[in-house]
Amino acid sequence: MTRLLSSELLKLRTTRTFYALTGAAVALIVIIAVLAAALGKFKTTGTPGRDVLSVAGLAPLFALVIGVTGVTSEFRHGTITPSLLVEPVRTRLMAAKLAAQLIAGLALGAVCYAACAAIVSVLLSGRGIATGMSTSHWIGAVIGGAVASMLYAALGLGVGALLRNQVGAIVVVLAWVFVIENLLGIIPGGFGDAIKKYGLSGVGSSLARTASHASRIGQVPAGLLLLGYALLLVIAGTIIVRQRDVSS
Amino acid sequence: MLWVVVAVVVVAGIVIAVFGWDRYRGGREAAGNGSHAEPTGEVFVDTESGRRMRVWYDMATGRRDYRPEQPSDTALRAELLAAGPGIDQQDHQHEAQTVEGGHQPAAAGAGQVGPRVRPATAGGGHTDISVAIRVTGLTKRFGKTVAVERLSFSVAAGRIVGFLGPNGAGKTTTMRALVGLVRPTAGTATIEGRRYSELEHPVQTVGALLDGDDLHPGRSGRNHLHVLARAAGVAPARVDELLELVDLTNAADRRSGGYSMGMRQRLGLAAALLGDPQVLVLDEPANGLDPQGIRWLRNFLRSRAGEGCAILVSSHVLAEISQLADEVVVINHGRSVLQAPLAELMAQGNGGMRVAGPDVARLAELLRADGAQVEGAGHGAIVVSDRTGEQIGRMIAANGIVVSELAAHGESLEDVFFELTGYERGPS
Repeated sequence: MTRLLSSELLKLRTTRTFYALTGAAVALIVIIAVLAAALGKFKTTGTPGRDVLSVAGLAPLFALVIGVTGVTSEFRHGTITPSLLVEPVRTRLMAAKLAAQLIAGLALGAVCYAACAAIVSVLLSGRGIATGMSTSHWIGAVIGGAVASMLYAALGLGVGALLRNQVGAIVVVLAWVFVIENLLGIIPGGFGDAIKKYGLSGVGSSLARTASHASRIGQVPAGLLLLGYALLLVIAGTIIVRQRDVSS
Repeated sequence: MLWVVVAVVVVAGIVIAVFGWDRYRGGREAAGNGSHAEPTGEVFVDTESGRRMRVWYDMATGRRDYRPEQPSDTALRAELLAAGPGIDQQDHQHEAQTVEGGHQPAAAGAGQVGPRVRPATAGGGHTDISVAIRVTGLTKRFGKTVAVERLSFSVAAGRIVGFLGPNGAGKTTTMRALVGLVRPTAGTATIEGRRYSELEHPVQTVGALLDGDDLHPGRSGRNHLHVLARAAGVAPARVDELLELVDLTNAADRRSGGYSMGMRQRLGLAAALLGDPQVLVLDEPANGLDPQGIRWLRNFLRSRAGEGCAILVSSHVLAEISQLADEVVVINHGRSVLQAPLAELMAQGNGGMRVAGPDVARLAELLRADGAQVEGAGHGAIVVSDRTGEQIGRMIAANGIVVSELAAHGESLEDVFFELTGYERGPS
């Protein structure tokens, strides 16, 4: 188990894709947060701290893509064959991949949310703008964001294992988050509201405490719901990986 | 904050549950004893011993074994097997190796595995090292396409078996089934009596090269091996050793996307050798190698076989196989056409066996008297078209005849191959 996990972590660390994705996530979040916190005009009645922190919501999306590539790149390049030669029990390989993705997602989320929170609190207080967030709020948001990134990475792994086609799987997860959920969300009535609240984006931002009041659910239910989504997809993906023949 | 702890605990619990379940299942399978096994209706002839073998199915573990078939009383036989000791030695070999699935000679070299103590099973503690790879009644269908159909063959320790067949004959599917990448529709493919996924130390038992192209183009050759070595519990020093062996040390830190086909193939071979295994399964290993590389590979495989390694090697370069293999398995449309020693296969063609020496005239008379077809080939040599080398050799020995040469004559392996598979020269 430790051996497999260490191998999976080494797989992540020995490709440029991983560094490109994590680097891009951190760079984008830092740049946008600095610009927004330094130049943004905030209403006195608003919640400026939370608004700018929501920029860090990019981290779970990057974690999602990293999760997808964690398994689809093996199928894309055929490295699944040597991987399964070393660990023929596919459930074990998937579990090691899951553990590696949880670690990577958690680390990425923690760095991004902590950096963003630091930038926001320093710059806003420097400008004399009240962030509207207490210390425990900040801590809760950073931990929630890190956990959201962790679970998004797991979810991506599940989708990747289900679809196996790298480009297809990335298009599907991004289209879901950016297009489909938004379209479903504008359906008037209860269904649209439910999507905003319980959809992937809604649950993610509730977990990171960056959701607006209207679509917010508690951090614990949001976390459990996201855990449920991730588990469902990881289990489904693992079943598919177990059953499929690997003939590249 | 409590929920964070709850979430982490739940995730950890699931991970442990998944691993625990596998270990639990593995443990059960390892502990499975032969007494649950029931004979099935499936019988085949063992190519090694010529004995009739029956496939047994163990309902407790789902494992399929094969045991020598006794024409007399199967039920009594089953009792004897369950009782353990007291079965004649000859039978021991086959049973023990399959029922226990036990022997791993490769492991010692890698320093990974100590002797394993297993619960007593049918047939006692004997193991058979002679048959390393066994494919029994293997059938694989992809949808309606039949890739492999009731294929049976075996590879003994110390032997190099060439796996021949036209493109699409089912060679790659068979090899992938052997290492658990493809799930057979029926039949079994086992290594040292166990399915690949049941091997405790697969990398230390079997080395497989299936497609040298299975590389992440962004990862260096060295890191590719390190990733696999970590997962397999192989020491990092072994990676450097293997890079040196396949002459990739200088290119090892470059991204493998820039490697030539021959370099990829050599890296794939290094990966197959990570655990210093005693069984090698190589799909077209000479692909993309330059002539020196091919010669090196040939010598390397020969020396491994000399050390007792069992090697199954597929190739479409027939000349390569004819210089390398001890035996060949020829398949066509997923079915076995034959398994025979190479020399015998060559003799099967119309070319026959060529014998030369001072006494060949006398030998020709004796052979003709025996009903063989003998033709003079000039220069004190004859060609015998319907006897194997062994048959002729026996006659030579029995009559004290002096010969200077006894070899397959005329047709190349290629001709025999085309004859067997019914393919004409040229792309089909």
